[in-house]
Amino acid sequence: MLKKTAINKISELAAVLMEKGTLLAPVKEAAGFNFREISDAGQVNLHFHNTIISPKSAFFPQMEDFVRYQTGKSILEAAPVELNLKPVFLFGVRPCDVKSFEIMDIHFSGTGAVDPYWKKRREAATIFGHAFDLNEAADPAEFYHTLGIGAADPQGSDIFMVTKDNDLLFKSITPKGKKLLEELTMLTEASAGDRKYFEDYIARGHDYKTRFASVEPKAIATEFESIFDNREFWKNVSNACLSCGVCTFVCPTCYCFDICDETLFNKGTRRRVWDACMFTDFTLEASGHNPRTNVYQRLRQKICHKYSFSIRKYGVISCVGCGRCTRYCPVNIDIFSIVEQAVKAKWYKRL
Amino acid sequence: MTNKNPYIPMPVKISRIIDEVDTHDIKTFRFEFLNKEDEAGFKYLPGQFGELSIYGKGESPIGIASSPTQKGYVEFTVQRAGAVVPGMVTSALHEMEEGALMGIRGPLGKSWPLEYLEGKNIVIVGGGFAFTTLRSLINYMIYGKNRERFGSITIIYGARNPGLLLYKDELIEWGKRTDLNLNVTVDKADAAWKGREGFVPAVCKEVAPGKENAVAVICGPPVMIRFTLPVFFDLGFSKANIITSLEMRMKCGIGKCGRCNVGSKYVCTDGPVFSLAELDNLTQEY
Repeated sequence: MLKKTAINKISELAAVLMEKGTLLAPVKEAAGFNFREISDAGQVNLHFHNTIISPKSAFFPQMEDFVRYQTGKSILEAAPVELNLKPVFLFGVRPCDVKSFEIMDIHFSGTGAVDPYWKKRREAATIFGHAFDLNEAADPAEFYHTLGIGAADPQGSDIFMVTKDNDLLFKSITPKGKKLLEELTMLTEASAGDRKYFEDYIARGHDYKTRFASVEPKAIATEFESIFDNREFWKNVSNACLSCGVCTFVCPTCYCFDICDETLFNKGTRRRVWDACMFTDFTLEASGHNPRTNVYQRLRQKICHKYSFSIRKYGVISCVGCGRCTRYCPVNIDIFSIVEQAVKAKWYKRL
Repeated sequence: MTNKNPYIPMPVKISRIIDEVDTHDIKTFRFEFLNKEDEAGFKYLPGQFGELSIYGKGESPIGIASSPTQKGYVEFTVQRAGAVVPGMVTSALHEMEEGALMGIRGPLGKSWPLEYLEGKNIVIVGGGFAFTTLRSLINYMIYGKNRERFGSITIIYGARNPGLLLYKDELIEWGKRTDLNLNVTVDKADAAWKGREGFVPAVCKEVAPGKENAVAVICGPPVMIRFTLPVFFDLGFSKANIITSLEMRMKCGIGKCGRCNVGSKYVCTDGPVFSLAELDNLTQEY
């Protein structure tokens, strides 16, 4: 099913979605765009390239409250925080970020114990994917093409959106998306011309080039395994790293978290918060032993986790090439260049 | 979210506290579940661990010291941390009294490979405080008819001095059995000590357990491990037949939080039990 609306009427659609549930959409802020819960339909702004923080926070918020407790009182009085979610509409997600949800699904709900928070939040959401603007140049940090993701890939979205001149086209991809699209009566039927435009656009998405390197998962995993102990290589690439962790916070596939008890006077909350392998106390044990005290070890952990360990454990590269880590790194460390160098490291060794 | 939520601890009562050592910084806590269904659901094997949970302080991953053959309760032997980093949970635990309520999550992780150990001669080597899950394994193997499932059992257990030995009453009981070869040693004896004196690696050399059809299960401080492994290599033990348990900082215990990641493994779910052969395939960052 393909429907459409004029872009300048987007706030009308936003208002309907807000009535149906919670709407999360890109909003323009001082530093750039971010996904926010929309309280005023006029806030929704699709004139963005991509958001600063990835949309993972829709399913894995920076803070997730588990339990409220009172110190000095029995554990029996502690109350788990129930997740009572209204339907969530995640609007305007770029194809590379949509792909990240699939990778995170493997970790949080597809293997081993099921994370109840991730699962519930995922089930409550309908994803409106949004193709990149193919008339606009790719951001120099991006490399999703390297990971086999097209600029207009609809897979993973419930409804996929493409901009056509002053219109926005909506195509249902899943049954969930189809059902919703049928309910959105303010959208008009698309024409045969729109349909052709939409299909052509999706196909053109694969010709739209970001930075590219030939990266085959198993081969790259082996490559990183072979240079894991090459201290010189890792010291070199991490030379400027401040270990600030911003790369992990903006990343759509970084999932490490801490579980903290925050108590004020006698009232407290046990919650999970995002954490990062870039922080020195991440692996600090009670004995004082810390297996990763050096910056190069931590940057190595982050990169090898995505480009080696994840492939061995889950069969996928845990990176979608969105370029955020590179874009927001204060010292211009670029994961793509490190991956490229790793591929070439064996030749370097021969020199 | 409450019943099946793996992040929410089950309520337990501390039914017994045993002060294990002269320095009073290691205690064994016996917990009883408040809910029968939690007790029934807590099916564990030696080598697994649990998260001890105190609201307002946090959680600590600790190996289970009791054996599943001991019904009605579960025990954890906990050292008070705090010499280097502030051991919030362990300190709070050490201040608690019998009858107090707190939380447990678990059982977590993989157990000692019991099926693999069956029919084999078992050599258990423990040093100092790292004897807790080995105690669980020993009590499991010597319980009733379980004993028939294993070959000879040799135990080498050492502590710095006699006052630091754990489970002293059980050591006496085990010493009386004829189906166990128990070797307890201390680095430095005191006037009252009538047993063996000497470091664990030296005692291993002396006892010299045979490699035929044998598996060594070794837990101890890094320095003990470093000097004990060469002894077992000299005795001809293969890396697949030397098994140990790793420590790594943990939070969730269920393979989600990413903290205990070593190479492609999570220590909490893929371990903590690993053979040396398996560890050889991991990155050496633990």
